[in-house]
Amino acid sequence: MFRSTRSLEMTRRQWLQLAAAGVAVGAPAGWMKALAADAASSPQRKRSCILLWMNGGPSQMDTFDLKPGHANGGPYKAIQTSVPGIRISEHLPKLAQLADHLALVRSMSTKEGDHGRASYFLRTGYPPQGQVQYPTLGSLVAKELADEGAELPSFVSIGPFRFLNQAAYGPGFLGHEYAPLIVGENGRGQVVRPGMNPEDAALRVKDLDAPDGIDRRTADARLGLLNPLNAEFIDSHPGGPAEAHRSAFEHAIKLMRSEGVKAFHLDTEPAPLRDAYGRNPFGQGCLLARRLIERGVPFVEVTLNSANGMQAVGWDTHQQNFEQVKRLSEVLDAGWSTLLRDLQQRGLLESTTIVWMGEFGRTPKINANAGRDHFPNAWTAVLGGGGIKGGSVIGRTSADGNTVEERAVTVPDFIATVCMALGIDPKIQNISNVGRPIRIADPAAKPITEALA
Amino acid sequence: MTLLERGATMRRRQLWLVLSLAVVASPFGTYGAEATAKFPNGPAAFASRHIAPIDEQALSRAIDRALETRWQKQSVTPAPLSDDAEFLRRVCLDVAGRIPPVSETREFLSKTDLEKRRALVDRLLASPAYANHMTDVWTELLVPEAKASFQSGFFAGDFRVWLRKEFSDGTGYDKIVRELLTVPVTSGQLAFNPGNAQTITPSAFAFVAAKDGKPENLAASASRLFLGIRLECAQCHNHPFAKWTRDEFWGMAAFFAGVQRQGNGDAIFQGTEVAGRHEIEMPGTKRTIKASFLDGRDVDWSGNASSRSKLAEWLTSRDNPYFARAAANRVWSHFFGVGFIDPVDDMGANVEASHPELLDLLADQFAAHEFDLKYLIRAITSSRAYQLSSAGGSPSTTVYRLFDRMPVRGLSAEQLYDSLVMATGLNKEAPPQQFVFANNGLRGEFLERFASQDERATDRQTSILQALTLMNGRLVDDATNVERGATLQAVADSYFLDTAGRIETLYLAALTRRPRSEELERLVPYVERGGPTLNSKKAFADVLWSLLGSAEFVFNH
Repeated sequence: MFRSTRSLEMTRRQWLQLAAAGVAVGAPAGWMKALAADAASSPQRKRSCILLWMNGGPSQMDTFDLKPGHANGGPYKAIQTSVPGIRISEHLPKLAQLADHLALVRSMSTKEGDHGRASYFLRTGYPPQGQVQYPTLGSLVAKELADEGAELPSFVSIGPFRFLNQAAYGPGFLGHEYAPLIVGENGRGQVVRPGMNPEDAALRVKDLDAPDGIDRRTADARLGLLNPLNAEFIDSHPGGPAEAHRSAFEHAIKLMRSEGVKAFHLDTEPAPLRDAYGRNPFGQGCLLARRLIERGVPFVEVTLNSANGMQAVGWDTHQQNFEQVKRLSEVLDAGWSTLLRDLQQRGLLESTTIVWMGEFGRTPKINANAGRDHFPNAWTAVLGGGGIKGGSVIGRTSADGNTVEERAVTVPDFIATVCMALGIDPKIQNISNVGRPIRIADPAAKPITEALA
Repeated sequence: MTLLERGATMRRRQLWLVLSLAVVASPFGTYGAEATAKFPNGPAAFASRHIAPIDEQALSRAIDRALETRWQKQSVTPAPLSDDAEFLRRVCLDVAGRIPPVSETREFLSKTDLEKRRALVDRLLASPAYANHMTDVWTELLVPEAKASFQSGFFAGDFRVWLRKEFSDGTGYDKIVRELLTVPVTSGQLAFNPGNAQTITPSAFAFVAAKDGKPENLAASASRLFLGIRLECAQCHNHPFAKWTRDEFWGMAAFFAGVQRQGNGDAIFQGTEVAGRHEIEMPGTKRTIKASFLDGRDVDWSGNASSRSKLAEWLTSRDNPYFARAAANRVWSHFFGVGFIDPVDDMGANVEASHPELLDLLADQFAAHEFDLKYLIRAITSSRAYQLSSAGGSPSTTVYRLFDRMPVRGLSAEQLYDSLVMATGLNKEAPPQQFVFANNGLRGEFLERFASQDERATDRQTSILQALTLMNGRLVDDATNVERGATLQAVADSYFLDTAGRIETLYLAALTRRPRSEELERLVPYVERGGPTLNSKKAFADVLWSLLGSAEFVFNH
């Protein structure tokens, strides 16, 4: 998988020199394609997915489905995008220029209005029910697209706030093998080393580095003591658990010592690009997502928790909706638009599907606290990049935003669409923890074929 | 589930088809032939039974006889008996939820008393560690939602305090379940008051809150947990593989029909109850379903007992053989990693028990001893099967349905944390009593990382992140730090011990056994040379690190 790393580094360096000189952004596609050819044009290149998860439920009325002039509309203006006829919020100006890569699904209709249950529903494709432990989307995709023998895990989750429903972030019945590698959660993952910028420390893998004072020689000596101990135990206790334990250690060591973990070393990126992504957990998370995708990780999710970088349910704007959404939009606009351009420049956008969603939308009616409440009936999610027909709008809501008037999209419909964009058959069955086979997307799903390229 | 297991399931189904042809319905008191068909592999008798109680040792011998007969029949040579060290570690983990301290290990290994294994179990059952461990195990079973969702997490503190008290009082299992099913749901009564430690009130309320007060969730959980029957598939449609109908599912749910959530679904759960309601509308239909017992027996609605207490009374009755049977099967699987019927919560479907008569015997005796969990635990832990070694199997013998060898089982996150603390002498962080919004403590972080994914204990897989935590994490780093690790310091300062004696202490602390001679031959020179740093204190740390990361440490075996 790392066959191409060296040339990618070259490509990036060259591109960044150009970017720094103000040439590359928006440069003609022809020569840029040639530069990025190695990563992108290989016919074996698998598709990958980046999920931008909007924790708390973003307001569709103030992002992608504005209703200017209506009492429910709020103060934001709708601005022109690069696609005639499509208008989005004035606080997403950079993204507006890239609307030709996006498909806005304005008719999400999903029925769950509780954060925990809705997070589970949107993230697994099934409402929580009974004993079945449904895997989260990242685990499902990782299972289908994972590269055997890859050094990096096949699913990385950046900055999740799992508190609303931890199970919505787990591999469920697919098991540990497809569990996300989590970084930047809750200030916990912080691996602060002398001289390391705390911002960079936050996005490092927890426990990836040996503790202070344990150099490579000591680490090797310790492994030298561990190996015979494990070997003797496995000899007398052959079979599953003990062998899996040894293998997990081997994988962990491989990861610790791999070239691939350099993906987490954001400090090797030039400052102008890091600035463009936004110097906040979400922006830098988007940059990390690109670095991981580039190294073959099939699924990366980046959570936007809040505008100030706190772990929170930032989009849950029951009060002061308009101030909060404006600040969140600024963070979102920089991170997402730079991600799209960066992927495009590297020729990776065509093979990378980008999904933007939260657990639900928000009420069209503005409440007494200038806020909007939970609203699963009619809201917007966005698809973009690989496999997606850019510049399109799916479905329509009523003038007041309260109902879906055209092409209601259910959660299974949406999940199935994401699968198809990734070249995965949504009807694939996995054996669940209750012994019953379960499809990736509920059999009732009707994929949004008009959104697919 | 592996392919092999799927194959086994299929074979079981086919076998059942064959067996079912041979089933002859017989009159079973008030339970009709209908009930027999529902529970194809059900217990031998349905009517009220008066079973003469036998003591723990008699039951233990009966277990031995039943298993030995099968070994002979199938020409299986069971594993040899475990040695004292192997037994000590295993039974401490199973009963007390952690490995023993070095002092206890030394004392136990040096005793020659023939009754010492039994005495050890008595001592463990009387210790607070038993109640703590059972609380961990049953909280996970009864309110798994508490971990995953903050809605029900709010009530978990009260719940744990309640459960711990029941286990340390030795309350009968039937009484615990009755309290759980009939916990009062009174308007506003248990509103959560964050930040006020005084609000801890021992209560089973979290069970209702975790199921969101929904009759269908409560019914599905109750039948799965306490009867070993998965009804939930019949919630939406008559299930093709199982015999349960939607009417039966909603008939069970109707016992909980009075329970209602107050306020909107976004808020912390508060409930209320319409007393006496025992009818429910089946969703998507206009039909109202009356509460009915799964065995078809009529509900006697005279008197003024609540509908939930009617259900609790039927469910936990000595005459309801499924209750004792599901519990006995579950307790057995706690000690062997797999039940006579497995998964343990899927007993009603077409699955036969590996040892049906033995399961019935355990269930009957459990009921006859007023559902005393300690009675069952004493009998099981003194059986020969429980005391067999785990060593010496071959890769092909990974199915332990004959109980001829103890399988290697994964530890729960709590067991692993508590054992790490015990082995290393680190300060133990107590579980938070009160609900904490984001548990940032080392303990919380560790438990989260090692939380099991509900796989069988015998199928446990260490994840890469778990391996990283065991290699590089704070807990292990502190434990193996020559300034901070208490066990390590004590060992380094034991001037009365030679190098081999100090290595032995580390082994006793972490692995509950003495090092083998070839291990000492390897380790004594390593330590005396001082490892790569030429510092023997640090070399001891390296040894401890390797012990804590070993498969032998992270599994029960």
